[in-house]
Amino acid sequence: MINFHKDLWRNHTRHNDLWVALMTPHVWLALGWHDIRQRYRRSVIGPFWFTLSTLMMVGALGLVYSTLLGKTLREYIPYLGVGLVVWQYISSVINEATTAFINSGYLIKQARIPLTIYAARVVWRNFVILMHSLPVVILLMMLFGKMPNSELLLLFPGLLILMLQGVWVVLVVGVVCTRFRDVIPIASNFITIAFFVTPVLWPVTQLKERAWIAECNPLYHTIEIIRGPILGTPIHWQSWVWALGLLVAGFLLAQYLMSRCRDRVAYWL
Amino acid sequence: MANSIHVEGVSVEFPIYENSHRSLKNRMIDITTGGRIAKDLSRHPVVTALDGISFKIGHGERVALVGHNGSGKTTLLRVLSGVYAPTQGRLSVDGKTASLLDVSMGLDPDATGFENIYLRGIMDGLKRSIIRGKIDEIADFTDLGDYLNLPVRTYSSGMMLRLAFAISTSVEADILIMDEWLSVGDAEFSVKAKQRLDEMVGQASILVIATHDPALVSRICTRAIKLEHGRLVEDKPVTKEEPNTVIS
Repeated sequence: MINFHKDLWRNHTRHNDLWVALMTPHVWLALGWHDIRQRYRRSVIGPFWFTLSTLMMVGALGLVYSTLLGKTLREYIPYLGVGLVVWQYISSVINEATTAFINSGYLIKQARIPLTIYAARVVWRNFVILMHSLPVVILLMMLFGKMPNSELLLLFPGLLILMLQGVWVVLVVGVVCTRFRDVIPIASNFITIAFFVTPVLWPVTQLKERAWIAECNPLYHTIEIIRGPILGTPIHWQSWVWALGLLVAGFLLAQYLMSRCRDRVAYWL
Repeated sequence: MANSIHVEGVSVEFPIYENSHRSLKNRMIDITTGGRIAKDLSRHPVVTALDGISFKIGHGERVALVGHNGSGKTTLLRVLSGVYAPTQGRLSVDGKTASLLDVSMGLDPDATGFENIYLRGIMDGLKRSIIRGKIDEIADFTDLGDYLNLPVRTYSSGMMLRLAFAISTSVEADILIMDEWLSVGDAEFSVKAKQRLDEMVGQASILVIATHDPALVSRICTRAIKLEHGRLVEDKPVTKEEPNTVIS
Protein backbone atom coordinates (compact mmCIF):
# COMPACT_ATOMS: atom_id res chain seq x y z
CA MET A 1 0.00 0.00 0.00
CA ILE A 2 1.32 3.40 -0.90
CA ASN A 3 0.18 6.69 0.45
CA PHE A 4 1.67 9.69 -1.25
CA HIS A 5 1.49 13.44 -1.31
CA LYS A 6 -1.35 15.37 -2.97
CA ASP A 7 0.57 16.10 -6.19
CA LEU A 8 -1.35 13.64 -8.36
CA TRP A 9 1.11 13.54 -11.23
CA ARG A 10 3.78 11.71 -9.24
CA ASN A 11 1.44 10.39 -6.63
CA HIS A 12 -1.45 8.87 -8.51
CA THR A 13 -2.61 5.47 -7.36
CA ARG A 14 -3.41 2.40 -9.38
CA HIS A 15 -7.07 3.41 -9.13
CA ASN A 16 -6.82 6.90 -10.58
CA ASP A 17 -3.90 6.35 -12.98
CA LEU A 18 -6.20 6.32 -16.01
CA TRP A 19 -8.04 9.44 -14.97
CA VAL A 20 -4.96 11.45 -13.95
CA ALA A 21 -3.31 10.70 -17.30
CA LEU A 22 -6.32 11.54 -19.44
CA MET A 23 -6.71 14.80 -17.53
CA THR A 24 -3.15 15.88 -18.37
CA PRO A 25 -3.47 15.92 -22.16
CA HIS A 26 -0.57 18.31 -22.69
CA VAL A 27 1.82 15.51 -21.71
CA TRP A 28 0.64 12.81 -24.10
CA LEU A 29 -0.07 15.30 -26.87
CA ALA A 30 3.53 16.52 -26.66
CA LEU A 31 4.97 13.00 -26.43
CA GLY A 32 2.89 11.75 -29.35
CA TRP A 33 3.93 14.66 -31.54
CA HIS A 34 7.51 14.13 -30.52
CA ASP A 35 7.29 10.50 -31.68
CA ILE A 36 5.99 11.61 -35.06
CA ARG A 37 8.73 14.20 -35.43
CA GLN A 38 11.32 11.60 -34.46
CA ARG A 39 10.03 9.03 -36.90
CA TYR A 40 10.11 11.40 -39.84
CA ARG A 41 12.94 13.67 -38.73
CA ARG A 42 15.04 13.34 -41.84
CA SER A 43 12.23 12.76 -44.27
CA VAL A 44 10.95 15.56 -46.49
CA ILE A 45 7.26 14.69 -46.62
CA GLY A 46 7.12 13.20 -43.13
CA PRO A 47 3.88 11.55 -42.04
CA PHE A 48 2.56 11.87 -45.57
CA TRP A 49 4.70 8.84 -46.38
CA PHE A 50 2.05 6.92 -44.58
CA THR A 51 -0.64 8.54 -46.69
CA LEU A 52 1.32 7.88 -49.85
CA SER A 53 1.76 4.19 -49.11
CA THR A 54 -1.92 3.94 -48.25
CA LEU A 55 -2.82 5.60 -51.55
CA MET A 56 -0.64 3.17 -53.46
CA MET A 57 -2.27 0.29 -51.66
CA VAL A 58 -5.73 1.69 -52.35
CA GLY A 59 -4.82 2.08 -56.01
CA ALA A 60 -3.47 -1.43 -56.40
CA LEU A 61 -6.13 -3.21 -54.34
CA GLY A 62 -8.83 -1.01 -55.87
CA LEU A 63 -8.00 -2.11 -59.38
CA VAL A 64 -7.99 -5.79 -58.50
CA TYR A 65 -10.86 -6.01 -56.06
CA SER A 66 -13.26 -3.72 -57.91
CA THR A 67 -12.98 -6.18 -60.78
CA LEU A 68 -13.33 -9.22 -58.50
CA LEU A 69 -16.36 -7.72 -56.78
CA GLY A 70 -17.86 -6.39 -60.01
CA LYS A 71 -17.96 -2.77 -58.84
CA THR A 72 -17.03 0.48 -60.53
CA LEU A 73 -13.88 2.23 -59.36
CA ARG A 74 -15.98 5.29 -58.57
CA GLU A 75 -17.99 3.52 -55.89
CA TYR A 76 -15.30 1.08 -54.73
CA ILE A 77 -12.23 3.32 -54.28
CA PRO A 78 -13.78 5.66 -51.64
CA TYR A 79 -15.15 2.66 -49.72
CA LEU A 80 -11.80 0.90 -49.76
CA GLY A 81 -9.83 4.08 -49.06
CA VAL A 82 -11.68 5.08 -45.89
CA GLY A 83 -11.81 1.50 -44.64
CA LEU A 84 -8.12 0.94 -45.20
CA VAL A 85 -7.05 4.17 -43.51
CA VAL A 86 -9.14 3.41 -40.42
CA TRP A 87 -7.91 -0.18 -40.47
CA GLN A 88 -4.31 0.97 -40.45
CA TYR A 89 -5.03 3.07 -37.39
CA ILE A 90 -6.64 0.09 -35.63
CA SER A 91 -3.93 -2.36 -36.57
CA SER A 92 -1.00 -0.14 -35.70
CA VAL A 93 -2.57 0.81 -32.37
CA ILE A 94 -2.92 -2.88 -31.47
CA ASN A 95 0.54 -3.71 -32.76
CA GLU A 96 2.22 -0.88 -30.90
CA ALA A 97 0.14 -1.64 -27.83
CA THR A 98 1.93 -4.96 -27.40
CA THR A 99 5.21 -3.17 -26.70
CA ALA A 100 3.85 0.12 -25.34
CA PHE A 101 5.13 -0.55 -21.81
CA ILE A 102 8.03 -2.80 -22.71
CA ASN A 103 9.58 -0.13 -24.93
CA SER A 104 9.13 2.51 -22.26
CA GLY A 105 10.55 0.24 -19.58
CA TYR A 106 13.59 2.39 -18.97
CA LEU A 107 11.30 5.34 -18.24
CA ILE A 108 8.82 3.39 -16.15
CA LYS A 109 11.64 2.14 -13.92
CA GLN A 110 13.05 5.62 -13.36
CA ALA A 111 10.15 7.71 -12.17
CA ARG A 112 6.54 7.28 -11.23
CA ILE A 113 4.24 8.81 -13.82
CA PRO A 114 0.82 7.50 -14.81
CA LEU A 115 1.17 4.43 -17.04
CA THR A 116 -1.82 5.56 -19.08
CA ILE A 117 0.41 8.35 -20.42
CA TYR A 118 2.36 5.75 -22.41
CA ALA A 119 -0.90 4.35 -23.76
CA ALA A 120 -2.31 7.73 -24.73
CA ARG A 121 1.00 8.57 -26.38
CA VAL A 122 0.73 5.53 -28.67
CA VAL A 123 -2.88 6.39 -29.49
CA TRP A 124 -2.18 10.04 -30.17
CA ARG A 125 0.72 9.45 -32.56
CA ASN A 126 -1.38 7.01 -34.56
CA PHE A 127 -4.32 9.36 -34.50
CA VAL A 128 -2.14 12.14 -35.93
CA ILE A 129 -1.13 9.81 -38.76
CA LEU A 130 -4.80 9.02 -39.33
CA MET A 131 -5.53 12.73 -39.47
CA HIS A 132 -2.93 13.07 -42.23
CA SER A 133 -4.40 10.25 -44.29
CA LEU A 134 -8.12 10.75 -43.83
CA PRO A 135 -8.39 14.20 -45.49
CA VAL A 136 -6.38 12.92 -48.45
CA VAL A 137 -8.78 10.00 -48.83
CA ILE A 138 -11.75 12.38 -48.65
CA LEU A 139 -10.15 14.54 -51.36
CA LEU A 140 -9.59 11.45 -53.47
CA MET A 141 -13.24 10.56 -53.02
CA MET A 142 -14.32 14.02 -54.20
CA LEU A 143 -11.98 13.62 -57.15
CA PHE A 144 -13.99 10.58 -58.10
CA GLY A 145 -17.03 12.80 -58.07
CA LYS A 146 -18.54 11.69 -54.78
CA MET A 147 -19.36 14.66 -52.54
CA PRO A 148 -19.82 14.25 -48.78
CA ASN A 149 -23.30 15.14 -47.50
CA SER A 150 -24.71 16.21 -44.16
CA GLU A 151 -23.89 12.79 -42.68
CA LEU A 152 -20.30 14.08 -42.53
CA LEU A 153 -21.09 15.86 -39.26
CA LEU A 154 -21.32 12.48 -37.56
CA LEU A 155 -17.66 11.97 -38.39
CA PHE A 156 -16.63 14.01 -35.35
CA PRO A 157 -18.25 11.88 -32.64
CA GLY A 158 -17.05 8.88 -34.63
CA LEU A 159 -13.44 10.03 -34.54
CA LEU A 160 -13.65 10.81 -30.83
CA ILE A 161 -14.91 7.30 -30.15
CA LEU A 162 -12.21 5.82 -32.38
CA MET A 163 -9.52 7.67 -30.48
CA LEU A 164 -10.85 6.73 -27.06
CA GLN A 165 -11.20 3.07 -28.08
CA GLY A 166 -7.45 3.16 -28.67
CA VAL A 167 -6.74 4.15 -25.07
CA TRP A 168 -8.37 1.15 -23.44
CA VAL A 169 -7.06 -1.21 -26.13
CA VAL A 170 -3.45 -0.12 -25.53
CA LEU A 171 -3.87 -0.39 -21.76
CA VAL A 172 -5.38 -3.86 -21.86
CA VAL A 173 -3.13 -5.27 -24.60
CA GLY A 174 -0.09 -3.49 -23.15
CA VAL A 175 -0.52 -4.80 -19.61
CA VAL A 176 -1.28 -8.35 -20.75
CA CYS A 177 1.66 -8.41 -23.19
CA THR A 178 4.05 -7.07 -20.57
CA ARG A 179 3.21 -9.98 -18.31
CA PHE A 180 2.69 -12.70 -20.92
CA ARG A 181 5.18 -12.16 -23.71
CA ASP A 182 3.61 -14.94 -25.79
CA VAL A 183 0.61 -12.72 -26.42
CA ILE A 184 2.70 -10.38 -28.61
CA PRO A 185 2.85 -12.73 -31.63
CA ILE A 186 -0.72 -13.81 -30.96
CA ALA A 187 -1.86 -10.19 -31.23
CA SER A 188 -0.17 -9.61 -34.58
CA ASN A 189 -1.59 -12.87 -35.82
CA PHE A 190 -5.02 -11.78 -34.71
CA ILE A 191 -4.75 -8.53 -36.67
CA THR A 192 -3.82 -10.31 -39.87
CA ILE A 193 -6.76 -12.67 -39.61
CA ALA A 194 -9.15 -9.92 -38.53
CA PHE A 195 -8.28 -7.93 -41.65
CA PHE A 196 -9.70 -10.61 -43.87
CA VAL A 197 -12.87 -11.29 -41.90
CA THR A 198 -13.71 -7.61 -41.37
CA PRO A 199 -15.47 -5.76 -44.19
CA VAL A 200 -12.62 -3.52 -45.34
CA LEU A 201 -11.87 -4.92 -48.78
CA TRP A 202 -15.45 -6.08 -49.40
CA PRO A 203 -18.87 -4.70 -48.50
CA VAL A 204 -21.12 -6.46 -45.97
CA THR A 205 -23.72 -7.14 -48.67
CA GLN A 206 -21.30 -9.63 -50.25
CA LEU A 207 -21.78 -11.85 -47.20
CA LYS A 208 -25.43 -12.35 -48.22
CA GLU A 209 -27.23 -14.54 -45.66
CA ARG A 210 -24.06 -14.72 -43.51
CA ALA A 211 -24.05 -11.00 -42.80
CA TRP A 212 -24.06 -11.83 -39.09
CA ILE A 213 -20.31 -12.50 -39.40
CA ALA A 214 -19.88 -8.77 -39.86
CA GLU A 215 -22.74 -7.70 -37.60
CA CYS A 216 -21.15 -9.48 -34.64
CA ASN A 217 -17.71 -8.03 -35.34
CA PRO A 218 -17.04 -4.95 -33.19
CA LEU A 219 -14.23 -3.95 -35.56
CA TYR A 220 -16.78 -3.63 -38.35
CA HIS A 221 -18.91 -1.22 -36.34
CA THR A 222 -15.84 0.75 -35.26
CA ILE A 223 -14.92 1.26 -38.92
CA GLU A 224 -18.51 1.85 -39.92
CA ILE A 225 -18.98 4.90 -37.69
CA ILE A 226 -16.16 6.59 -39.63
CA ARG A 227 -16.88 5.17 -43.07
CA GLY A 228 -20.61 5.85 -43.02
CA PRO A 229 -20.39 9.61 -42.39
CA ILE A 230 -17.66 10.09 -44.99
CA LEU A 231 -19.38 8.10 -47.71
CA GLY A 232 -22.69 9.66 -46.78
CA THR A 233 -24.40 6.36 -46.15
CA PRO A 234 -26.64 6.36 -43.07
CA ILE A 235 -25.25 4.40 -40.14
CA HIS A 236 -27.39 1.70 -38.54
CA TRP A 237 -28.17 2.46 -34.94
CA GLN A 238 -26.67 -0.94 -34.11
CA SER A 239 -23.25 0.40 -35.06
CA TRP A 240 -23.48 3.23 -32.54
CA VAL A 241 -24.68 0.81 -29.87
CA TRP A 242 -21.83 -1.57 -30.63
CA ALA A 243 -19.21 1.18 -30.70
CA LEU A 244 -20.39 2.84 -27.50
CA GLY A 245 -20.93 -0.48 -25.77
CA LEU A 246 -17.42 -1.56 -26.70
CA LEU A 247 -16.06 1.73 -25.42
CA VAL A 248 -17.76 1.42 -22.04
CA ALA A 249 -16.94 -2.28 -21.64
CA GLY A 250 -13.36 -1.62 -22.72
CA PHE A 251 -12.81 1.17 -20.24
CA LEU A 252 -14.32 -0.91 -17.44
CA LEU A 253 -11.95 -3.74 -18.33
CA ALA A 254 -8.99 -1.34 -18.53
CA GLN A 255 -9.89 0.21 -15.18
CA TYR A 256 -10.22 -3.23 -13.61
CA LEU A 257 -6.84 -4.30 -15.00
CA MET A 258 -5.16 -1.10 -13.87
CA SER A 259 -6.63 -1.39 -10.38
CA ARG A 260 -5.34 -4.93 -10.17
CA CYS A 261 -2.04 -4.76 -12.02
CA ARG A 262 -0.84 -1.18 -12.41
CA ASP A 263 1.66 -1.53 -9.58
CA ARG A 264 2.91 -4.86 -10.89
CA VAL A 265 3.83 -3.65 -14.38
CA ALA A 266 7.20 -2.25 -13.26
CA TYR A 267 8.03 -5.70 -11.83
CA TRP A 268 7.26 -7.42 -15.12
CA LEU A 269 9.49 -5.24 -17.25
CA MET B 1 4.67 21.72 6.76
CA ALA B 2 6.93 18.84 7.66
CA ASN B 3 8.09 16.46 4.98
CA SER B 4 8.53 12.88 5.96
CA ILE B 5 8.99 9.33 4.77
CA HIS B 6 7.46 6.44 6.67
CA VAL B 7 8.45 2.93 5.69
CA GLU B 8 6.75 0.12 7.60
CA GLY B 9 7.69 -3.48 7.02
CA VAL B 10 8.25 -2.96 3.30
CA SER B 11 9.18 -6.00 1.25
CA VAL B 12 9.85 -6.23 -2.46
CA GLU B 13 9.87 -9.53 -4.29
CA PHE B 14 10.67 -9.90 -7.95
CA PRO B 15 9.20 -12.80 -9.86
CA ILE B 16 11.59 -14.03 -12.54
CA TYR B 17 9.72 -15.27 -15.58
CA GLU B 18 12.58 -16.30 -17.85
CA ASN B 19 12.38 -19.96 -18.76
CA SER B 20 16.00 -20.62 -17.96
CA HIS B 21 15.33 -19.86 -14.32
CA ARG B 22 12.53 -22.35 -14.10
CA SER B 23 15.02 -25.18 -14.06
CA LEU B 24 16.49 -23.74 -10.91
CA LYS B 25 15.86 -26.65 -8.59
CA ASN B 26 17.24 -25.57 -5.31
CA ARG B 27 15.88 -23.00 -3.06
CA MET B 28 18.87 -20.80 -2.68
CA ILE B 29 19.44 -18.84 0.47
CA ASP B 30 22.38 -16.85 1.76
CA ILE B 31 24.30 -16.28 -1.38
CA THR B 32 26.95 -13.64 -0.95
CA THR B 33 25.60 -11.00 -3.30
CA GLY B 34 22.03 -10.10 -4.10
CA GLY B 35 18.80 -10.82 -2.34
CA ARG B 36 17.51 -14.23 -1.45
CA ILE B 37 16.10 -16.33 -4.25
CA ALA B 38 13.11 -18.55 -3.59
CA LYS B 39 10.16 -19.82 -5.60
CA ASP B 40 6.64 -18.56 -5.47
CA LEU B 41 3.59 -20.77 -5.67
CA SER B 42 3.46 -20.76 -9.44
CA ARG B 43 7.03 -22.09 -9.48
CA HIS B 44 8.63 -18.90 -10.68
CA PRO B 45 11.86 -18.11 -8.88
CA VAL B 46 11.41 -15.04 -6.69
CA VAL B 47 14.15 -12.64 -5.68
CA THR B 48 13.49 -11.00 -2.34
CA ALA B 49 15.19 -7.66 -2.90
CA LEU B 50 13.86 -6.03 0.26
CA ASP B 51 12.71 -7.86 3.33
CA GLY B 52 10.63 -6.15 6.00
CA ILE B 53 12.32 -2.76 6.01
CA SER B 54 11.05 -0.17 8.49
CA PHE B 55 12.25 3.35 9.20
CA LYS B 56 11.07 6.93 9.46
CA ILE B 57 12.84 9.91 7.98
CA GLY B 58 11.89 13.39 9.14
CA HIS B 59 12.49 16.95 8.05
CA GLY B 60 16.14 17.97 7.68
CA GLU B 61 17.61 14.48 7.66
CA ARG B 62 20.35 13.49 5.23
CA VAL B 63 20.27 9.73 4.97
CA ALA B 64 22.94 7.55 3.39
CA LEU B 65 22.01 4.06 2.24
CA VAL B 66 25.05 1.85 2.42
CA GLY B 67 25.67 -1.80 1.74
CA HIS B 68 27.21 -4.23 -0.74
CA ASN B 69 26.28 -4.44 -4.38
CA GLY B 70 22.89 -6.07 -4.60
CA SER B 71 22.00 -5.36 -0.99
CA GLY B 72 18.83 -3.57 -2.11
CA LYS B 73 19.88 0.09 -2.05
CA THR B 74 18.71 0.99 -5.53
CA THR B 75 15.53 -1.06 -5.14
CA LEU B 76 14.77 0.83 -1.94
CA LEU B 77 15.35 4.13 -3.77
CA ARG B 78 12.94 3.00 -6.48
CA VAL B 79 10.37 2.09 -3.85
CA LEU B 80 10.75 5.54 -2.30
CA SER B 81 10.30 7.21 -5.67
CA GLY B 82 7.17 5.15 -6.32
CA VAL B 83 8.45 2.99 -9.17
CA TYR B 84 8.07 -0.29 -7.31
CA ALA B 85 5.06 -0.63 -5.09
CA PRO B 86 5.97 -2.70 -2.02
CA THR B 87 4.68 -6.27 -2.23
CA GLN B 88 4.16 -6.10 1.53
CA GLY B 89 4.12 -3.32 4.06
CA ARG B 90 3.26 0.34 3.90
CA LEU B 91 5.00 3.34 2.45
CA SER B 92 3.99 6.90 3.07
CA VAL B 93 5.85 9.80 1.49
CA ASP B 94 4.89 13.34 2.36
CA GLY B 95 6.52 15.93 0.12
CA LYS B 96 7.37 16.59 -3.49
CA THR B 97 9.83 13.95 -4.56
CA ALA B 98 12.54 14.14 -7.17
CA SER B 99 14.65 11.14 -8.02
CA LEU B 100 18.05 11.24 -9.68
CA LEU B 101 18.39 7.52 -10.25
CA ASP B 102 19.83 7.57 -13.71
CA VAL B 103 20.74 11.03 -14.89
CA SER B 104 20.66 10.16 -18.55
CA MET B 105 17.09 8.89 -18.17
CA GLY B 106 15.00 9.74 -21.13
CA LEU B 107 17.71 11.48 -23.13
CA ASP B 108 16.66 10.87 -26.68
CA PRO B 109 19.76 10.62 -28.88
CA ASP B 110 17.95 11.75 -32.02
CA ALA B 111 16.37 14.81 -30.46
CA THR B 112 18.24 18.07 -30.02
CA GLY B 113 19.52 19.30 -26.69
CA PHE B 114 16.69 21.83 -26.40
CA GLU B 115 14.10 19.19 -27.26
CA ASN B 116 15.53 16.94 -24.60
CA ILE B 117 15.24 19.67 -22.00
CA TYR B 118 11.65 20.18 -23.05
CA LEU B 119 10.80 16.47 -23.10
CA ARG B 120 12.16 15.95 -19.63
CA GLY B 121 10.02 18.79 -18.37
CA ILE B 122 7.00 17.18 -20.01
CA MET B 123 7.81 13.88 -18.31
CA ASP B 124 7.82 15.74 -15.01
CA GLY B 125 4.27 16.81 -15.80
CA LEU B 126 5.22 20.47 -16.16
CA LYS B 127 3.24 22.89 -18.26
CA ARG B 128 4.79 24.32 -21.41
CA SER B 129 5.01 27.82 -19.92
CA ILE B 130 6.92 26.61 -16.87
CA ILE B 131 9.36 24.63 -19.00
CA ARG B 132 10.01 27.67 -21.17
CA GLY B 133 10.96 29.61 -18.10
CA LYS B 134 13.53 26.98 -17.14
CA ILE B 135 15.06 26.29 -20.52
CA ASP B 136 17.40 29.28 -20.57
CA GLU B 137 18.75 28.61 -17.13
CA ILE B 138 19.45 24.96 -18.01
CA ALA B 139 20.98 25.88 -21.37
CA ASP B 140 23.27 28.44 -19.75
CA PHE B 141 24.45 25.99 -17.19
CA THR B 142 25.48 23.38 -19.75
CA ASP B 143 27.76 25.84 -21.60
CA LEU B 144 26.94 23.88 -24.74
CA GLY B 145 25.86 26.95 -26.74
CA ASP B 146 24.78 26.17 -30.27
CA TYR B 147 25.28 22.46 -29.74
CA LEU B 148 21.90 22.47 -28.03
CA ASN B 149 20.36 22.81 -31.49
CA LEU B 150 22.02 19.61 -32.65
CA PRO B 151 20.87 16.05 -32.00
CA VAL B 152 22.28 14.65 -28.78
CA ARG B 153 23.86 11.73 -30.64
CA THR B 154 26.42 14.17 -32.08
CA TYR B 155 27.62 15.03 -28.56
CA SER B 156 30.69 13.64 -26.87
CA SER B 157 29.90 11.55 -23.81
CA GLY B 158 31.08 14.40 -21.59
CA MET B 159 28.75 16.85 -23.30
CA MET B 160 25.88 14.42 -22.99
CA LEU B 161 26.51 14.10 -19.27
CA ARG B 162 26.59 17.87 -18.87
CA LEU B 163 23.19 18.15 -20.48
CA ALA B 164 21.75 15.26 -18.49
CA PHE B 165 23.17 16.69 -15.28
CA ALA B 166 21.83 20.18 -15.94
CA ILE B 167 18.36 18.81 -16.71
CA SER B 168 18.18 16.46 -13.72
CA THR B 169 19.35 19.09 -11.27
CA SER B 170 16.88 21.71 -12.44
CA VAL B 171 14.01 20.32 -10.41
CA GLU B 172 12.91 21.68 -7.07
CA ALA B 173 11.86 19.10 -4.56
CA ASP B 174 11.26 18.60 -0.88
CA ILE B 175 12.59 15.08 -0.98
CA LEU B 176 15.64 14.25 -3.05
CA ILE B 177 16.45 10.65 -3.92
CA MET B 178 19.87 9.99 -5.42
CA ASP B 179 21.79 6.95 -6.55
CA GLU B 180 25.41 7.90 -5.92
CA TRP B 181 26.69 11.45 -5.93
CA LEU B 182 26.91 12.88 -9.41
CA SER B 183 30.26 14.09 -10.63
CA VAL B 184 30.61 15.14 -14.22
CA GLY B 185 32.82 16.86 -16.69
CA ASP B 186 36.26 18.39 -16.76
CA ALA B 187 37.82 20.17 -13.79
CA GLU B 188 36.11 23.49 -14.44
CA PHE B 189 32.67 22.04 -14.99
CA SER B 190 32.86 19.65 -12.07
CA VAL B 191 33.42 22.57 -9.69
CA LYS B 192 30.30 24.22 -11.09
CA ALA B 193 28.42 20.94 -10.92
CA LYS B 194 29.37 20.31 -7.31
CA GLN B 195 28.20 23.79 -6.38
CA ARG B 196 24.87 23.28 -8.12
CA LEU B 197 24.34 19.90 -6.53
CA ASP B 198 25.22 21.22 -3.07
CA GLU B 199 22.71 23.98 -3.60
CA MET B 200 20.02 21.53 -4.68
CA VAL B 201 20.69 19.26 -1.72
CA GLY B 202 20.75 22.27 0.59
CA GLN B 203 17.28 23.31 -0.53
CA ALA B 204 15.75 19.87 -0.14
CA SER B 205 14.17 19.05 3.15
CA ILE B 206 15.13 15.37 3.00
CA LEU B 207 17.94 13.65 1.13
CA VAL B 208 18.24 9.90 0.66
CA ILE B 209 21.37 8.84 -1.17
CA ALA B 210 22.78 5.41 -1.90
CA THR B 211 26.54 5.50 -1.88
CA HIS B 212 29.73 3.49 -1.47
CA ASP B 213 31.78 6.54 -0.55
CA PRO B 214 32.45 6.88 3.20
CA ALA B 215 33.91 10.38 2.72
CA LEU B 216 30.68 11.54 1.16
CA VAL B 217 28.66 10.00 3.98
CA SER B 218 30.59 11.91 6.60
CA ARG B 219 30.58 15.10 4.53
CA ILE B 220 26.85 15.48 3.92
CA CYS B 221 24.89 12.81 5.76
CA THR B 222 23.43 12.86 9.23
CA ARG B 223 22.33 9.26 9.33
CA ALA B 224 23.39 6.00 7.73
CA ILE B 225 21.16 3.01 7.03
CA LYS B 226 22.94 -0.21 6.18
CA LEU B 227 21.31 -2.91 4.10
CA GLU B 228 22.42 -6.49 3.75
CA HIS B 229 20.60 -9.03 1.57
CA GLY B 230 17.59 -6.74 1.52
CA ARG B 231 17.40 -6.45 5.31
CA LEU B 232 18.06 -3.39 7.39
CA VAL B 233 21.02 -4.29 9.58
CA GLU B 234 22.14 -0.96 10.96
CA ASP B 235 20.59 2.47 11.39
CA LYS B 236 22.71 5.02 13.20
CA PRO B 237 23.57 8.70 13.17
CA VAL B 238 26.74 9.71 11.35
CA THR B 239 29.32 11.05 13.75
CA LYS B 240 31.18 13.97 12.29
CA GLU B 241 34.87 13.41 12.83
CA GLU B 242 36.39 16.72 12.01
CA PRO B 243 39.74 16.93 13.76
CA ASN B 244 40.15 20.70 13.18
CA THR B 245 37.04 21.59 15.10
CA VAL B 246 37.98 19.20 17.88
CA ILE B 247 41.33 20.96 18.42
CA SER B 248 39.94 24.47 18.40
